[in-house]
Order: sequence, then C-alpha cells, then structure tokens
Amino acid sequence: MAAEINGFGADKRRISTQILLQEIYTALENGETEFEILSSGHHNIGGPLWTADGTPLKFRVKNPGQRVGSFGLEGTDIIVDGSAPADAGWLNSGATLTILGDSGDTTAHCAASGKIFVAGQVGTRSGSLMKHDPAFDAPELWVLKKTGSFSFEFMGGGIGVICGIDCENFDSILGDRGCAGMVSGTLYVRGPVAGLSDDVWLLDLDEADQQFLTGGLPEFLERIERPELLATLSDMGQWKKIVARTYEERNAKGRISLNEFRLGKWVEGGIFGDIIDDDYNHVAGLVNTGDDRLKIPHWLEKRYAAPCQSSCPSFIPTQDRLKLLREGKEKEALELVLRYSPFPASVCGQVCPNLCMDACSRRFLDTPVSMKQLGMLSVNTPAPPCAADTGKKIAIIGGGPGGLSAAWQLRLKGHDVTVYEADNRLGGKLYQAIPTDRLPSEILDSEIQRMLDTGIKTQTNTKVDSALFEQIRNDYEAVIIASGAHNPVIIPFPGHELMVKGLDFLKKINAGEKPTVGKKVVVIGAGNAGMDVALGAYAMGAKKVTAIDVQRPAAFKNEIDHVEALGGEIRWPIHTDHISVRGLHTKEGELIEADMVIISIGERPDLSYVPHDWLTDRGMMNVNGCWQVKAEENVIDNVFAIGDTTRPGLLTNAIGHGHEAADYCDALLNGLEIIERKKLETIPQHRLSMELFRPRNRGQLKLHDAREETTRCISCGTCRDCSMCLEACPEAAIRRVEGPNGTFEYVSDDHICIGCGICSGICPCGIWTMEQVV
Amino acid sequence: METVKIHDTTPNDLPWKLRYDANRCTLCGSCVAACSFRAIEAKIERRRMIFSEGDLPDPRARFSAVPVIKQVNSLKNYCRGCGICEKVCPNDAIAPVRNPDTRHPIVTRCSGGDSIKRGGRKNLTGSIRTLDQLRVGRISQMTDPSLDAQRHTFDMLAPFGRILPADELPMTLGSNGKLVSNGHMPPVNSIYPVIIGDMSIGALSWRMWEGVAMAVAYLNEECGLPVRMCSGEGGVPMRLLKSKYLKYMILQIASGHFGWNRILQAMPEMIEDPAGVLIKIGQGAKPGDGGLLQAQKVAEHVMAIRGVPKTDLLSPPNHQGLYSIEESVQKMFLSFNAAFKFRVPVAIKVAASSTSVSVFNNLVRDPYNIVGGFFLDGIDGGTAAAHEVSLDHTGHPIVSKLRDCYLAAVTQGRQGQIPLWAAGGLGKTGDLAADAFKMMCLGANGVFTGKLILQMAGCVGNDQGRCNACNTGLCPAGITSQNPALAHRLDPEQVAENIVNYFLAMDQELKKLMAPIGNSSLPIGRSDALVAMDKSVADRLQVQYVC
Repeated sequence: MAAEINGFGADKRRISTQILLQEIYTALENGETEFEILSSGHHNIGGPLWTADGTPLKFRVKNPGQRVGSFGLEGTDIIVDGSAPADAGWLNSGATLTILGDSGDTTAHCAASGKIFVAGQVGTRSGSLMKHDPAFDAPELWVLKKTGSFSFEFMGGGIGVICGIDCENFDSILGDRGCAGMVSGTLYVRGPVAGLSDDVWLLDLDEADQQFLTGGLPEFLERIERPELLATLSDMGQWKKIVARTYEERNAKGRISLNEFRLGKWVEGGIFGDIIDDDYNHVAGLVNTGDDRLKIPHWLEKRYAAPCQSSCPSFIPTQDRLKLLREGKEKEALELVLRYSPFPASVCGQVCPNLCMDACSRRFLDTPVSMKQLGMLSVNTPAPPCAADTGKKIAIIGGGPGGLSAAWQLRLKGHDVTVYEADNRLGGKLYQAIPTDRLPSEILDSEIQRMLDTGIKTQTNTKVDSALFEQIRNDYEAVIIASGAHNPVIIPFPGHELMVKGLDFLKKINAGEKPTVGKKVVVIGAGNAGMDVALGAYAMGAKKVTAIDVQRPAAFKNEIDHVEALGGEIRWPIHTDHISVRGLHTKEGELIEADMVIISIGERPDLSYVPHDWLTDRGMMNVNGCWQVKAEENVIDNVFAIGDTTRPGLLTNAIGHGHEAADYCDALLNGLEIIERKKLETIPQHRLSMELFRPRNRGQLKLHDAREETTRCISCGTCRDCSMCLEACPEAAIRRVEGPNGTFEYVSDDHICIGCGICSGICPCGIWTMEQVV
Repeated sequence: METVKIHDTTPNDLPWKLRYDANRCTLCGSCVAACSFRAIEAKIERRRMIFSEGDLPDPRARFSAVPVIKQVNSLKNYCRGCGICEKVCPNDAIAPVRNPDTRHPIVTRCSGGDSIKRGGRKNLTGSIRTLDQLRVGRISQMTDPSLDAQRHTFDMLAPFGRILPADELPMTLGSNGKLVSNGHMPPVNSIYPVIIGDMSIGALSWRMWEGVAMAVAYLNEECGLPVRMCSGEGGVPMRLLKSKYLKYMILQIASGHFGWNRILQAMPEMIEDPAGVLIKIGQGAKPGDGGLLQAQKVAEHVMAIRGVPKTDLLSPPNHQGLYSIEESVQKMFLSFNAAFKFRVPVAIKVAASSTSVSVFNNLVRDPYNIVGGFFLDGIDGGTAAAHEVSLDHTGHPIVSKLRDCYLAAVTQGRQGQIPLWAAGGLGKTGDLAADAFKMMCLGANGVFTGKLILQMAGCVGNDQGRCNACNTGLCPAGITSQNPALAHRLDPEQVAENIVNYFLAMDQELKKLMAPIGNSSLPIGRSDALVAMDKSVADRLQVQYVC
C-alpha cells in the first residue's frame, strides 16, 4: 500500500515544498517505497532518493511543481499523472520519469542518465545540455508529439526521440533553431524539421538506429498508455535522425570560396572587365620577373658621353682611345684621335687648357687621366688613308687651326681641298701667336706636314678680298670661312696711341723680330692671350709685368700660375683712366708705373671681304647651328663660317667647329639633308661606380708612361667589358653576346631578371640603366 | 675625400633609416626589386684596411670594393618605412628603422616651398582614445552568459532612411482591420550597422575596389549579412550599375560630382535601385581639404569611369551654386531624392565640428521627409591623400559630437527619426566591434569605416608615420596604386575573403557585447550600459563614472 503524501494540510491550505519533501523523507525512513503524491505545484519531487537495500522507489504524482524527477537516481520510477511544468527530469541521473500529459520548458535539461517518457509535447529548450557520462547508461527522452523551439541546445550526449504524432501541420517538430551548439548524441525525429542549426546533420536511419527504435517504442507506448500507435510509429521510413557534426566537420568552412563566388555568381568578367584587361588570375609577388618588375635594366652603351669627351670642344672620345690602348690596339687608338683633330700633339699635347682633364671623373678619386701625354703619343702617327677622291672642290679661307681642321676632315673624306692663307705659312695663331716655348715649332711643323701629306692644296700669301672671294665662290662647290680674328681691339683711352697691341707683339716675337720691351710692362686684359703676352714680355726681357682686368681674370689657372711664377702680378678690378709715359692711370687715381702698356683684350675678325648682310650687329659671321652662313634669315647653304669669325674661342673650339662644319659640308656635297646633330648628354657622376677603383696615392702618382693611364680611365659611359654585372646579377639573368668584328653586348633576360637594379647599381661605367616602370 | 655639404640630404634627415647588415646580405636583389619607392639601391662600398703583420712596422693595405644595398638620400625617393624590404629579405639583413631625429618635416618644406602631401592618417599620437576609456559596464546579472550569440536571434539591423514616428505614418485603419497606405512612405533600408565607407575608384586600385565590392556581395548573398558599401566619389563601373548587386551600393555624390553623368546614363538599364545615396558635404579626416587624387593615379579606367582627363583631381572647394549649409543641404537632398523618384533613401555626410549639432537640428525638422540619415565623420580616420597639416591638425573627435547630436534629438523627442551614423578612427585598435558597440550605446544607429578596410586588405601603413604613401600611386600592397605592376600584387579574392572573415568575426563580437547587457537588438542610446573610467569623459558624455 503506497504512502499517501498530501500537499494540503489539515486546514486545507497548501503546505510548503519543504514540508512536503520532508514528509516524503520521513516516510522513506519509515520503510515506505511507494508514494502517491497529491501535489500543488511542489518542486523537486522524486530525487535524489534511494533505499539502503536497493528496493526500487515508485512515485505517482499529481499536479507536480517544477523539477519533478530532478536529480532522480537509478531505481526510482516516477509517473506524473497529467502534465508537468518546467524542468521535469532536470539533471536526471538514472530515474525513469513518465509524464502522461505535456511537459514544460527545459524538460530533461542536463539529463545524464535514465529515461523520460512524455505522452504529449515538451516546451522550449527541452533536451538542452543532455549529456552522456560513459560510466552510466545514456539518458533518453521520448516525446510523443513535438518540442518547443531551441530544443536540444548544446546537447552533449544521450538520445532524444520525437515522434511527431498529430504534428503534421507544424513547420518543425523541433520548433525553430533546434540543436544549436549540439556536439554529440542522437535525435530520432518523425515529421517535419526546419530551422536546424548548422551544427548537425539530418540523416536517414541505419540498421542500428532501427533496432534501437523498434526495441524502445513498445516500452515507451506502454508507459504512456498509447500502445495502439506502435504500428504507426514502426514505419521506419518516416524517421530521420539528427547527429552532431564532428569536431573536424564543425571547423570545416561550409561557405563557397571567393573564387567560386567570383567566377560563378559575381558580375561576369568582373565589374571593370569592359575597361581593364585583368582577369585576376595572376597575382604578382613582391619580387617578380617579366612585366611585373618595377624596373627593367637596359645596357645603354654610349648613351651618355664621357665627361672628357663632352667637355672637349673638339669632342675627342678619349675614353675610346684608352679602351683601344687597353685592348692593345695602339695603332687604332692613335689613329682614332686623328679622326677628331689634326693637332693631337700641338693642341691636346701642348697648348690646350685640357678642359677634358678638368672634367675627368678620375679627379674625384685621385688625379685626372693625363691627356697631354696621350696627345703627344700621336705626334708621329701617320695620317689615316684618305677616302677615294670625290672630285668635289672646297675652298677654306684661313689656314689656322679651324680652317686646317675643316680641310683635314674634308680631305680625309676624299674631297679636293684648297686652303687660302694670308700669311706665308699655315698654322694661324698656333704659329703666329703661341710662344714657342709653349709649342715647339718642330711639333707643329710635323703635324702640319702630316696634313699636307694627305694632299691638301694651299694658297699662302693670299689675302682674300671681296673680288677673290666672289671668284672662289664661283670656282668651288663650297666655301668655309675660317679667317680668324686678327684685328686687336683698342679702347680709345686718352694716351691710347702709346699702347702696343698684344697680338702684334706676339706675332713679332714668333716671327723672330725680338720686339723691344720695357722694364715695367702693364698688360691690359688678363685672359689667356694676356697671359701669353705677359710671358712674351718676360721672354723679351721685361723685369716686372702687371696684368690688369676690370673683372675676375678669364685666364685658366695654370696660365696665371705660369705668369705669377715669373714674378708677374695679376690685379683686378682695375679701371683704366688714361695712359701716359709714366704708365697707366686708374680711375681711382692710382698710377701703375710702366714704360710699356700692351693691350690684349681680344681681336675682331676682318670680314670686309664678305657681303655686309652676312654679319651680325657685332661684326661677326652670322651662322646657324650647322655653321652655315645666314644672310639675314636666308641660309647660304654652301658657305660655312667657323672659329673666331663667329665667336671668340679656344684653339680647340676652332678645331671642333672645323670638324663639324666639314661633316655638314660633306653631307651637303652628298646631297643629304643637313640637320643639326645633338651632342650626347654628359654622364651624370652618380651613374658611375667609381668605388670599384682603388684610389692611387696622389703624392706618389707619377706618370711614367702614357699607356699606364689606360688602366686609370674609368671609361665613363662606355662599357669596359669588366663583367661585374655578369657576376653580380643574383638571378644570373645577364649574358655577354659577341657580335661581328669583336663587338659585344650584355643582355638581360626579361624572363629571369627580377629588376633589382644591382647591375645598374654596381656598373663602374654607368652603362646599365633601370627603366622605371612605376 | 667625401664632399658632403651641410645642406646635402643624408639618411638622418629622413623619417626612416635602414638597418642593413652586409654580413647577412647575399645580394639576392629581392629588397631592391620589391621596393616601390625606389628608396634603396645597390651601390658599391669600399673596404680599406691598413695593417702591419710583422714584428716591425710593415705597412700593408687591403682594398676591396663590395656591392651593398644603400638607402637613397633623396627627399623624393625616401624610405616610407613600409617594411617590404624586410618582408622579402630571406636573411633579415635589412629593415627600416624609425628615425627619431628626422628633419624631414623641415627640410621637405624648405626645399620644396610647398606643403607636404601624404596618404591618409593622422600621425600625431595623442592621449588614450575616448572610446578606450569606456567599458561595457552594465552586465546583466542573469547567468553568464546571459544571451548567447549562437542560441539567440539578434536583430542586427540599422535603418538607412527617414523613420517616421507612428503617428505620422501615412496609413489609416482599413475597414478590414488592416492598415492601408494613404501617402508616400519614405524609403528605409534595414542594413548592417557597419557600412564600408566611401573610398573611390581612383583612390583605390581597381583590384581593391572590386575586392571590396565582392566582399559586400558575398556577405549579403552567402552569409546573410546585409552590409552596404559606399562608392566614394569616383563613379561606379557601368557593369556594376547594371547588375543586381547595385542594391548593395550606396552611391556617393561630393563637390566634384565625379562619375554622376555616367550613373545617370546607366539609369534606364538599372535592374535594381542602389541602397542609398550619400551626399558628402564634408569629411572628418582633414576637413576643409577635400580629396586629392594626383595625376599619377588617374589611370585610363579612372578617366573612363569619372569621365575626366588625366590631371590632378581635387575636390572643388564647395558645391558650386550653393550659398549656405541649410540651402545646400536641402537642395541636394531634394535633388537626390528626386533622382531615384523618392524610392531610394538619401543621407548626408558632414564633418564633426563645433557646428555639427546646428546642422543636425535643422535636419531633424525635415518637414518633407527626405532626410534619410546623418553621417557624422570625425578625425582619426581617412584614407585619401591630403596635406599633412590638414591630416594632423584639423578636425574634431567623433565621440562627444555624436553624443551631442543624439542628445539633441532626444531633447526634442525625435531620436531615431534621422538615423545617425558615425565614423572617424573607429576600429583604430583593430577592434571595430567594440568601437561600434560603444558608439551605438552613445546614440549612433551605426558606424562606417574605411581605413580599417584597407588594413584588412593588407595595408602596411599605420598612424605612426609608416608608409602613408597612398597619394603617390606607389602603394607597395597594390591597394592604392593604379600601376599594373603594383596593383597585380593584390589578390582581389583574398581582399574579399579577409573582409568577409573580419565581418563574420565582428558580427560574433558585436553579439558578444550585446549579450552581457541583455540586448538582442542594437543598443542604440543605451548609454546606461557604458561606464567611463575618466571623470571628464563621464561628465561630457553623461555616462556613469566608475573607478
């Protein structure tokens, strides 16, 4: 006979849960094992309770409160006669709980063992956090109808069976969002399921599943008193099961890849596909070959001029000359310079201020390459062979350095050249005005003879006047005016008639006339010519020479040094007021004592023989960029003018003009269009890697042999074939390709090169150049 | 003898110096090949040692010349500290090092006679950010966690469009008991509370822009996150305008009106409306400076989309033909509502400023129901090129100004009617969820972000002067370069993937912040959820001070 526990006291009032539970405990202690409980919402009926001898406990409860059957242990059997509110079977640890009506929210929450049978439906979050402790049997929750939403959240083990009876019209017999966070356990469902979390799979039953259901259904139906449903529920084709994704499956991404999205769903061909050619298949690295390089190397041989060459008014490629010498090609080297100047010894080797040396890159290391000695190497080099005679006749007016340079170039090209010279011999100022201790006459003579040997015709002692000029124009196919500047400029100071003209003075010295000179000499004009005059004055016996100028002296430093070494004085700014027999009086009132005043402030050309409209306002020849004479704006295409007839310049300027005019003249005679040629840009110093050259000790650097200079030359802008690039290229992308006649080039392979620029960064000569792509 | 003069540029004048170890360098060329700024180059260095080995003075000399990698001493091609050299170096032989003694800000101005321009970040580091002084301090006392991101349905939608109060809705009760419309309902789009902020085609490389657009489409189509993207003022590709994905785009109009002629031309062929229109009146980073797209970035496709020739493209100083902020705003609102026949919500973006609240108050009245949003942009963000002085020194922080606007609406009982969107350095620490959440608690309906998107894509810059070369077109990540060799470095799919993943992570994090305060919808105005650890911040923002 079961113990009856009444939730109402003698006064018909509801007793508290605590009193009701203690009545159960008392009865249990008194040996009762079966209980009939009339509850009134009392909580926690059913566990954790046990008997010492293991006798099973039975409860039949009406109208329980929350958590009926909670903490239930194995051996406890609870039947709720009707429905139960929330948390039925909470933390069930082995009891069998049968609810003959519906069950509230969170039924079987955290159930870890035992069985719970529900004859109706269960509320939200039912089955959540069910788990299976492997030391005990797995918990089971059997529900005849359906669950509320959020069922079986975070389920970690056990079995749920949701039979779906009378639920055909619902969207889901698990409510919405079932199984969120479910990691283990199995659910068997019969009926529609929707809104499941992504954490689970919905699968068909296998053999073992069917066995489990077939085995369990009779007991369930019997317990809830619905055995008539066995046939309906035994149709295994209506069941599905839900299992959690495995740990690995949960971490696998379920989304399609961006690549699949781009190619399958995104705007076809990309949103920029109509205006940019880019299929996005290629993603460049940070280091790339081919088109994605940030810079591309080019071997730009001779793209830039060496400083020596570009600073040389005669544009002599000294770097090439030294390269030939390095290669042992001495004959070719010495001949090369003759292609640029007929006076390598007289000018380069003797009187030229050697602007090439001032520009030489080597000066940043130790001292410039010695160009004078190089020039002298060619003193006895025979003239290169002339081209075959063309029969074309050209007249050169003036046998100075400019005229002879033009004559030389034209003759080498095979033309018939005649030089008209007013003096009795060729050479112009080289011969007339340069002191012989600066230019020994045997050197000049030998070089002039080399020229004459080529077959240049001369008409010396022939001063060209306008009549002769007209005749020359008629007789020759082209004329080059190179008569220089021989009229010394005079400033009409009071007493100017006392002054001696510098050029006349120098010419007399060189003509051997030994002009008289005072003890104290003042030279007006401290340019290079003034320095020559000062030297001449000392040579003729002067004791004290003072050169004055109104501005910073224009003479080169070594010319000034030369004069000062002899005791000469250079003064500036000095403004002359007048000249007297006592000397030169300055505007400041000073008297610079002198018994001779020489003026050397330049010369003007005598161009009385050409039409007046060929001259500029300043009385010089008016020429275009190709040295062709201009009458106002009309070009006289076969008359060229060069040298001091166009502008005051150095000997080397005149030689350069002559070369250029000859080239243009040759083009004219060959019927080619005459286009002014641009000179190469000088190589910027930063392109060179001079650090590769070991600086010599300046103090010990003495020139023993001009040939030694070949190794000191950096070869700016001209590949010295050292193969540094070949060795340094990290990708081995560079190779040396030999061409005909000993030529070669270095080539970088675009498919291998990464555009690092090491070749460019280490090239001693500045040949490798990086084209900037970005 | 070296011939260095005092005014020659040397590494110590520059913001970054190289740490280079010739002993570790194999001269593989990777660093010099990868440096887009031409800031390093191969050079030869001499090594010279004079020594004596014997028992007596016996001078010997050893000379060698070795190739090395050197920094370019140039104010033009100077190291930006992007670190690409370090990234590609197999031997850790090279890296940029910040030069605390830099004279760069001075010598650059001295030599150029022009303002310094650079990519968009404020580089002056200040005090702790206001947002970092705030914590989500009101924790629900229910079990921990009280809500769960997986278990709960969160309403993560923010309005873009004019919200009418219930009593002003154009509806009446029909005879069948249902509501019937009796007037025009202003359009409202419910979107994700984080908008990808306005970065133009031109400012971004085509790969970057398309990558962002793809990420947005993917987030919508594959992840169910209704994220929207603002086009920036650089036009929109025709193919996108005519595609179904236009619905995820907010079209921007600014003072240059770039690309709008083509947007209008595309209208007859549009199959979707855009998500909205954003009128840029002003911006938070470098306000008053405007955008500055330099000619080197105006590539063919930029010309094609914007309909402009290759030249520097500057945002003109104001909307031509507009005379006051009130007039300009109303005129622009009306025009762009009309542009899409009042079907598409229209908002404006203004710079946070001491005058922002006045502008906002004017809009809150909105008798025509055409004001679809107020985007307030503060300093600390920005992605465009601009003058350094503007980047560093102009602008107004966003936090208090957003709060002011919200409270102004609250005072009038009109909060939520004009959605408030905030930006300006949000996500600066890398954690946008926290910043967005706090801004929403202070009254923002949502936030927008640009710079962080660049960083998701792989931007190596930061706000301590690293890189910041977006203006040069030499972006080493290919994000802001139109040069193919650099743009090809960027994988648009990876860009999209990164953005998608960041948004998914951020979505989780936003929920993780909504959970403890017990909100399952966005916590707009829930300043009670915040506490401030700084008294002045607490007072200014009207949140609880805690310590």
